[in-house]
Amino acid sequence: MNGFGGFAVRRAAGAVVTLLALSVIIYVVFYVTPGDVAQITCGPRCSPAQVQQVSAQLHLDDPLYARYWHFLQGIVAGQDYSTGTSVQHCSAPCLGLSYQSDQQVLTLILAKLPVTASLALGSMVLWLIIGVGTGVLSVWRRGRLTERLLTTVTLAGMSTPVFVIGLVLMIVVCGQLELLPFPQYVPFTDDPEQWAWNLLLPWLSLALVESATYARITRAAMLETLTEDHVRTFRAYGVGERAVIGRHALRGALAPLIAVNANNIGVLFGGAVLTETLFGLPGVGREMVEAVKVVDLPVVVGMVLVTGFFVVLANAVADVLYALADRRVVLT
Amino acid sequence: MSEAVLAVETPGADAPGVSGARQFWRRLRTRRAALVAASAVALLVLVALTAPLLTALEGQDPTTYHPSLVDSARGGVPVGPLGGISADHWLGVEPQTGRDLFARLVYGARVSLGVALAATVVQLVLGVAVGLAAGLGNRWIDQLLTRVADIFVAMPLMIVALALLAVVPTSFPRPVLVALVVGLVSGWATLAKLVRAQTLTLKEADHVAAARLSGWGTVRIARRELLPGLAAPVITFAAILVPTNISVEAALSFLGVGVRPPTPSWGQMLTSANVWYQAAPQYLLLPAGALFVTVLALTVLGDGVRTALDPRAASRLRVGTGRKGGRS
Amino acid sequence: MRQPSVIARRVAAASVSLVVAAGAAACGPEDNDAKAAGNDSAPHKGGTLTVLNSNPQQDFDPARLYTSGGGNVPSLVFRTLTTRNRENGEAGAQVVPDLATDTGRPNKDATVWTFTLKEGLKYEDGTEITSADVKYGIERSFAPELSGGAPYLRDWLVGAAGYQGPYKDKKGLSAIETPDERTIVFHLNKPEGEFPYLATQTQFTPVPKAKDTGTKYEQHPVSSGPYKVVSNENDGERLVLERNPHWSAATDAERKAYPDKIDVRSGLDSSVINQRLSASQGADAAAVTTDTNLGPAELAKVSGDKDLAARVGTGHFGYTNYIAFNPKVKPFDDPKVRQAISYALDRSSVVNAAGGSALAEPATTFLPDQKSFGHTPYDHYPAGKSGDPAKAKELLKEAGHGDGLTVTLTHSNAKDFETSPEIATAIQDALKKAGITVRLQGLEDNDYSDKIHDVKTEPGFFLAHWGADWPSGGPFLAPIFDGRQIVKDGANFNNGLLDDASVNAEIDAINKLTDLDAAAERWGALDSRIGEKALTVPLFHPVYKRLYGKDVKNVVISDWTGVLDVSQVAVK
Repeated sequence: MNGFGGFAVRRAAGAVVTLLALSVIIYVVFYVTPGDVAQITCGPRCSPAQVQQVSAQLHLDDPLYARYWHFLQGIVAGQDYSTGTSVQHCSAPCLGLSYQSDQQVLTLILAKLPVTASLALGSMVLWLIIGVGTGVLSVWRRGRLTERLLTTVTLAGMSTPVFVIGLVLMIVVCGQLELLPFPQYVPFTDDPEQWAWNLLLPWLSLALVESATYARITRAAMLETLTEDHVRTFRAYGVGERAVIGRHALRGALAPLIAVNANNIGVLFGGAVLTETLFGLPGVGREMVEAVKVVDLPVVVGMVLVTGFFVVLANAVADVLYALADRRVVLT
Repeated sequence: MSEAVLAVETPGADAPGVSGARQFWRRLRTRRAALVAASAVALLVLVALTAPLLTALEGQDPTTYHPSLVDSARGGVPVGPLGGISADHWLGVEPQTGRDLFARLVYGARVSLGVALAATVVQLVLGVAVGLAAGLGNRWIDQLLTRVADIFVAMPLMIVALALLAVVPTSFPRPVLVALVVGLVSGWATLAKLVRAQTLTLKEADHVAAARLSGWGTVRIARRELLPGLAAPVITFAAILVPTNISVEAALSFLGVGVRPPTPSWGQMLTSANVWYQAAPQYLLLPAGALFVTVLALTVLGDGVRTALDPRAASRLRVGTGRKGGRS
Repeated sequence: MRQPSVIARRVAAASVSLVVAAGAAACGPEDNDAKAAGNDSAPHKGGTLTVLNSNPQQDFDPARLYTSGGGNVPSLVFRTLTTRNRENGEAGAQVVPDLATDTGRPNKDATVWTFTLKEGLKYEDGTEITSADVKYGIERSFAPELSGGAPYLRDWLVGAAGYQGPYKDKKGLSAIETPDERTIVFHLNKPEGEFPYLATQTQFTPVPKAKDTGTKYEQHPVSSGPYKVVSNENDGERLVLERNPHWSAATDAERKAYPDKIDVRSGLDSSVINQRLSASQGADAAAVTTDTNLGPAELAKVSGDKDLAARVGTGHFGYTNYIAFNPKVKPFDDPKVRQAISYALDRSSVVNAAGGSALAEPATTFLPDQKSFGHTPYDHYPAGKSGDPAKAKELLKEAGHGDGLTVTLTHSNAKDFETSPEIATAIQDALKKAGITVRLQGLEDNDYSDKIHDVKTEPGFFLAHWGADWPSGGPFLAPIFDGRQIVKDGANFNNGLLDDASVNAEIDAINKLTDLDAAAERWGALDSRIGEKALTVPLFHPVYKRLYGKDVKNVVISDWTGVLDVSQVAVK
């Protein structure tokens, strides 16, 4: 247990470093990229004097390091802000206020996160089923019609951008066949059944794009394992093909599958921008693109930190899973 | 276990006297699917390289507008059947502009394949190097590299692209910049994770342990013992990276940091053809089909190369479930 | 100018236009279309109207909205001193009273404007609307916390330039007087005959001081219109409006308010909105959009389908897309070069790039092709339908560029079919025939907007557009051509840096007129005169085509907004 405790502490420390580095990078990037925040916030026709007022209001005149320090202070101690008519408190960890909407960034993110989480987790289940299934079939039933069909479909999925797959699916399934309603996000807590029906198409679109990756990885790793000595031995002992593939070959595919999946899911928690935009899902990704366009620094930093957090978390989980799958691996 | 070491140590063991490279080609040649795929990839590259000749043959170029070939009153849908296919325009014309689709498709192949392949090289080099170092290095190196990879994974494409665009002067050749952005932001970190995971597993394998016991250095172990074991997953992943890179290039076009118009690319074509799926389907189907053929060919070729590289391929195919059994 | 309301015509998967104006654009229908649009049965009260939009109603605060004529959805909740006439076509470009009894009474030189509120005006909580509330609403729009509106109030009101709103300056604006509860008087710096138009903007909405919550007011602004906000989720992404029981139709001649409930769902992809409207299933049968046009691809599909074609509203919003020159940059200092480009232009291929003849009309005048703007036809350097490269070459030779000319055209990378790469490449292709080699410089949105609006970095040759704050020549010509509106240290819209004493004097003279028809005529003449300088090359005026659900009745599209008026729609 000591080993795991140490692992957890090291990872937590690593996560803090990663997140700090990410936030510094974003601050610097926004410093060099074009886009006059005060002018954009104020409106295109604002006079220089008015832009100056807005700039002061948003503390944009402070030097970069001071703004970053203010941001760190907010995380640790929270901050007070004025709505004009009253003073409000944004309690720690306060990620600041959106330049554009004056809402607390953390509130904004927490409102969008369930949408993105629903999208990410659901499509992950689908792509693992489709991808790993296709991969297994392509070893077990090599050359059969089902296998060829599935392989072709997943490859076609991979070679088509999600906004094409999604739109075509929507036109055909919702518009012409009327099998499903046009997706519209329904919170899981409101109505789990509607939640699933409405997310089915987005899940499928994303899964189609991703599954080929998993199919190829599964196939490659399984073929690799099948040549190993212990598998030969099993065969020699007359262990059935199904058992060899299911129990032993697939186990060999676990490490690469976990590695790729960890990154994918971590990134997806930062939002599947194209999918969210196409299906009108109010998730983290779409919010971030909009924030980048209007140079809304606090929102962007907040969103990137969320992505970073989930990438780190997913990778830590992946490392624990490796260790479980393969006792020889030591957690570092 | 010593048997395993032997197998890797002397790749030519099952065919004494034949060098590794020649054996590789021999194995590759004997796989029909791989050959077909290799020819398809070669053809695509050839098309990309000879784009100016091909379009000259057709008598068109990718940038000239033909307003008379589109129906202005109906949103600019191509005039005539099948999206305006004619003797002059072999694959029809682009809606709204009337630009020749064949010319745009073959010129698009240059940008898309060029960018995707160059980016893949960047990703392979970075991914394998970082992954190996993380997997073999001590705890601190591993932690550091893993953190750096995390940062790249978490950094949104759009932000990296915007930042680079702001810093790099406009005179810098755009396709190179695009390849760099694609290579840097996506793929390599995942590949590094993959390599690291595989390395961690391989590190514990018997033959590697044996090598370490016999006093080999880390670099030698990496080169002689690990790289061959990594070849399979890395090649598989590389075949996946290429189409993904083409998609990322599309996304970059979208964000305004792709190649500059009027230069065509498949990604750009897909992006703008999307909504024309109902009114002018071939506009979407052409780049989508081209991309699909590329992906299919690369995947099959990747499989073939991997099998041919792998000295144990023969035995696998024999003991494997392949009822069609490879002949090697 | 108004930011282009969404002319999102294409699936821009990742593109989100920077739209400050939450009130969507406008539209004006072709008259016969509008009639065909509604079903034959008469409109009735009741039902739920769904609004499917791409842009969320962010900043749903009357101080922060930048609208033309009060906007569409905002106008259901916010009443203003005056408003746009809710009629089809040309009649809809007139200004009519809303909260006030008339469109304002000017003094002799149009520097003092007096309005009287109607009797019996109430907020959603039943309290009385007073002239002090209108004054307070205007004052808070000066607060830096609530920025976003049009610049006119700041420019026109006496002593308003440095005012920072009621939160920092309790004394308020002395330029606005409220001698009694129903009277409000505005004192202006200079004569402004078009003040009644300005009073249609949401900043003229009454805000009860006791209910003001500053930046949080947008969550639940107090309604003076036929509907009140019952929920506002995700910063305006979903907005549900229900009847305001204290609104009285007797005081409001403009808003019909047929549906019982309005459900605004935004953040949708434009292609999905059009798919849903054309499928018209379930609640979508009673749906409209206030910000999404049909794109060229969708138009191609709709025009082949009779049923769908009958559900398309067509309108014209005062808007011009043009090429701008900066004569401080060589070789555009030479009028002959600018004229040559004018001659060489192929408007039919530009129109195609913008979506074809159904979605864009070729423009040779800077002013939109509408009577209220005083449109006066002219074409000083005629390019014909598809360009006159011979004439262009001749001029270039005279200008000393007989061997050809290489220039850089700056454009944005927005997916808007206005200043986007499609339009730029069409121009590039056309100028090639006249021996002009065009290099394209595509800039990311913010970069583009920073560069073209800064006199220090303004390129010599770029794509631009301008939209009407209200349907008149004043706000269309003055910001672009009035020499005193050149901004040296901020956002400048006078692209040509024109500072011509006779143009400036004429602008001042027209602003004195309170007879809007007479003013329109002179704006038209001024436009033609400025056109001779070839500082711009007008390209096209957009045409708005929008689908609506099959249960939607009473479709009204004015020339003011160019889009279906959501306050007139019935779903029963």
